[in-house]
Amino acid sequence: MFISKLKQALICLKAGRVTLPYPYKPSPTPEGFRGKLKVDINKCIGCAGCANVCPPGAIEVIDFDKGWRRIQFHLTRCIYCGRCEEVCPEKAVKLTDEFELSTNTKEDLDLTIEIYMDTCQRCTRCFKPEHPLDKMMVTGFRE
Amino acid sequence: MLTAKEIIETLRTKFNNHIIKADEKVSNQVFVRVVPDTLVPLIRFLSKTLSPRFLINAGTDLVRQDGKYLVSYIFSFDSDKIFLCIEVAVDAAAPDIDSITPIIAGANWSERETRDLLGINLRNHPDPRRLVLADDWPQGLYPLRRDFPYDYKPPSEPQNKVHLKKPPEGTKVIPIGPFYPVLEEPAYFKLFVDGETVVDCDYRGFYNHRGIEKIGDTKLTYNQICFMAERICGICGFIHSTCYCEAVEQAAGIEVPLRAHYIRTIMLELERIHSHLLWLGIATHIIGFDTLLMQAWRIREPVMWLCEKISGNRKTYGMNLIGGVRRDIPHQMHDKIITVIEKIERETLEVIDAVMGDTSLHVRLKDVGILTEEVGRSICTVGPTARGSGIPIDSRVDHPYAAYDRINFEVAVESGCDIWARTLVRLKETMESIKIVKQCLLEMPDGPIMGEVMEEIPSGREAICCVEAPRGEAVHYVQTGQDNRPYRWRVRAPTYPNLQCIPNIIKGERIADVPIIIGSLDPCYSCTERMAVVDVKTGVEKLYTKEEIIKR
Ligand code: SF4
Ligand code: SF4
Repeated sequence: MFISKLKQALICLKAGRVTLPYPYKPSPTPEGFRGKLKVDINKCIGCAGCANVCPPGAIEVIDFDKGWRRIQFHLTRCIYCGRCEEVCPEKAVKLTDEFELSTNTKEDLDLTIEIYMDTCQRCTRCFKPEHPLDKMMVTGFRE
Repeated sequence: MLTAKEIIETLRTKFNNHIIKADEKVSNQVFVRVVPDTLVPLIRFLSKTLSPRFLINAGTDLVRQDGKYLVSYIFSFDSDKIFLCIEVAVDAAAPDIDSITPIIAGANWSERETRDLLGINLRNHPDPRRLVLADDWPQGLYPLRRDFPYDYKPPSEPQNKVHLKKPPEGTKVIPIGPFYPVLEEPAYFKLFVDGETVVDCDYRGFYNHRGIEKIGDTKLTYNQICFMAERICGICGFIHSTCYCEAVEQAAGIEVPLRAHYIRTIMLELERIHSHLLWLGIATHIIGFDTLLMQAWRIREPVMWLCEKISGNRKTYGMNLIGGVRRDIPHQMHDKIITVIEKIERETLEVIDAVMGDTSLHVRLKDVGILTEEVGRSICTVGPTARGSGIPIDSRVDHPYAAYDRINFEVAVESGCDIWARTLVRLKETMESIKIVKQCLLEMPDGPIMGEVMEEIPSGREAICCVEAPRGEAVHYVQTGQDNRPYRWRVRAPTYPNLQCIPNIIKGERIADVPIIIGSLDPCYSCTERMAVVDVKTGVEKLYTKEEIIKR
C-alpha cells in the first residue's frame, strides 16, 4: 500500500503541470482542422450541391427573385463535417482553422451569398450558365 | 462449427410447415420468416438447442406494402460467426405478438421499445410498462409508424405517467437521478433500501430521445446518416458510423478497399484507447480517487490531439462514408502515431503498476457488484461487462468487420465477475489496442480509400452488423429502401443490454457502492436513447409537475 502510494506520487510529480495556458496564449490547430467555413463568392456557381449533401441541413438555398439565388450557411447548425467542401465543384467552400465562434448575436454565424443566375425562359428557375463567359455576360455576382 | 445451411436445416426439420421462407441473404446472415404463432415455440427450441445470443429486435412498418408489421429478432451464433434473424409479419389490424421475454430475459427492453414505438402489443410480457415514450406521450400514437410525420409534436397527456414500483415492505426509497446519476446524463434509479443494504431498484430512463432512427428513415440520405450515427455517442461515435456503414455496405454488396478497412480499424482502436482511459478516470473519480482521474486523463489527452491531426477533429472524426473513408493516414503520420501511442503505453503501464497494489482500490472494487456468468448470459450483457464475468464474446473476433480478420490480438477475459475484473479487462484491452494500431500501421497496404459505390443502392435488402465499442458491442440493422435512404435503420447501443442487469448487480450491495457499480458498466445513457421525438422535463417522482417546473 505504502509503496503503491509512493509510486503514484512519483507519477504525479514527474508529470508536473500539463494544463495549457489557453486562452491567455493562442492554441493553434493542426493542419487539416475542420473549423469555420469560408465561402468564395466569386467561385460559387449556385449549384446547391453543398446544400444537398449537408447532413444537418445547414445550407439553405432560396431563389428569392427572378434570377437571384441566395445561399445561406447557418453555422449555428453546421457540424463542420466538410462535406460541402468535398462536393463543391468550384472549390468555393473551404473549412478554415477558425474555431473561436462564440458570439452574442446569432446572425454573426450566418454566411450569406447572393448570386445572379441565368433564368430559364420557360420556367423562370435559376440555372448555371453554360460557359464561363456567359457568367460574365449576366449582371454579375453580388454579395 | 455450425454453418448457415445447418441452422436453416435444423429449423426446417422441426418447424418446416411454419417457415415461410429462409435464406442466407448476406454471407453468414440467415433470415428466417415464420408464422407468428410459431415464434415462441421456435425461440424456445432455439435457446434450448443451439442457444444463440439474443441481440435486439426491430420492428418495421410494412403496412403500405402488405398491410403488416414486420418484427425481426436478431440472434448471434458467436463462435460460428453467424447472425440469425427470425422475422414474423403481424397483421396491422391486430398487431399482437407473444412476448419472448419469459424465455430470454434480455429481450425485455427491446420488446417494450417495439411496442412503444410501433404499437406491437405484447402478450405475456412480465413488465409491460411504458419504456421509451415520455410520460405525457398520448396513448395510441406510435412514432415509428410510417404515417407519423417525423416533425409532429403531439399534445401532452400527463395521465400516462409511468408508475415505478412501490417499495417492498419495510424498505425506504433513495432516488438516484434523474439528473446526474453517476454520470452527467439523465436517468433515474429508484433504490429500495433496508438500512444500508439495497434490496431492489427500479429504473426509468430514455429522457433524451433524439428521434435519430425516425429521421434516418424519413429525412436523411445514406451518406448523411453516417454523420448522424457518429453523434449517437459522445465517446464512441466512430463505432456507430462504422457499424452503420458496414451494414449498408454488406446489404448493398459494396466492396470497400482494404486500406479503408485498415484506417477504420486504427481509428476504432484509438477510440477504444481514449475511451478506456476516460473510464478509468471517471471510475476512480466516483470512488474519490482523483489522483488517478487527473493522471488517466492527462495520459489520454495526446490521443485526442492525435485524432485531431488525423481527422480534423478531436472527437467526431467524420471519416466514414458508405464505401470507405474520407481521409487517408499518410506515411508521414505513422511515426507520429507510433510515438504518441508508445508514450501512452509506457505511462499506462506505469500507472497500472502503481495502482495494482493499492489496497484501498481493492477494498472498493473487489467482490463488489457481482454479475455472475449465468445472469450475464441471460440478460445478454456485452463488452467488458460480460468479459469480466467470463463470457468470452467480442465481435471483433466473432463477427469480424473492418480489418479485424487480419489482426492478431487477444480477447481479454476475466472470471472475477466483480468491478475489479471489469477494470482489468479494460486495462488489458487498452494494451491490446495499442498493439493493434501498431500492427495496422505496419501492414496497411497502399491503395484507394474509397470504393466504387453504385449510383443507387438497391432497395429491399437487409443486413446486420456488430461493432465492438469500448463499452460492448453495438448492433446496427439496415433495410435498404428507395429515395437513397434506408427503409429501416435500427441501432442498439452497448449500454442498452448492460443497463438491464443493474437490478441484479446492486441487489444486496451497500448504498455507497451503487455509484461505482453503475459506473463500472461504463454506461452511456444518451446512446441508449435514440428513438422517438420526445422532450421530457418532468421529474419522475411527482415532486413538481412539468407546468410547475416551467413556471419557475
Ligand atoms: S461543413 Fe458539413 S455541416 Fe457544415 S455546412 Fe458544410 S456540409 Fe453542412
Ligand atoms: S458553394 Fe459550391 S457546391 Fe455550394 S452552391 Fe456554390 S458552387 Fe455549388
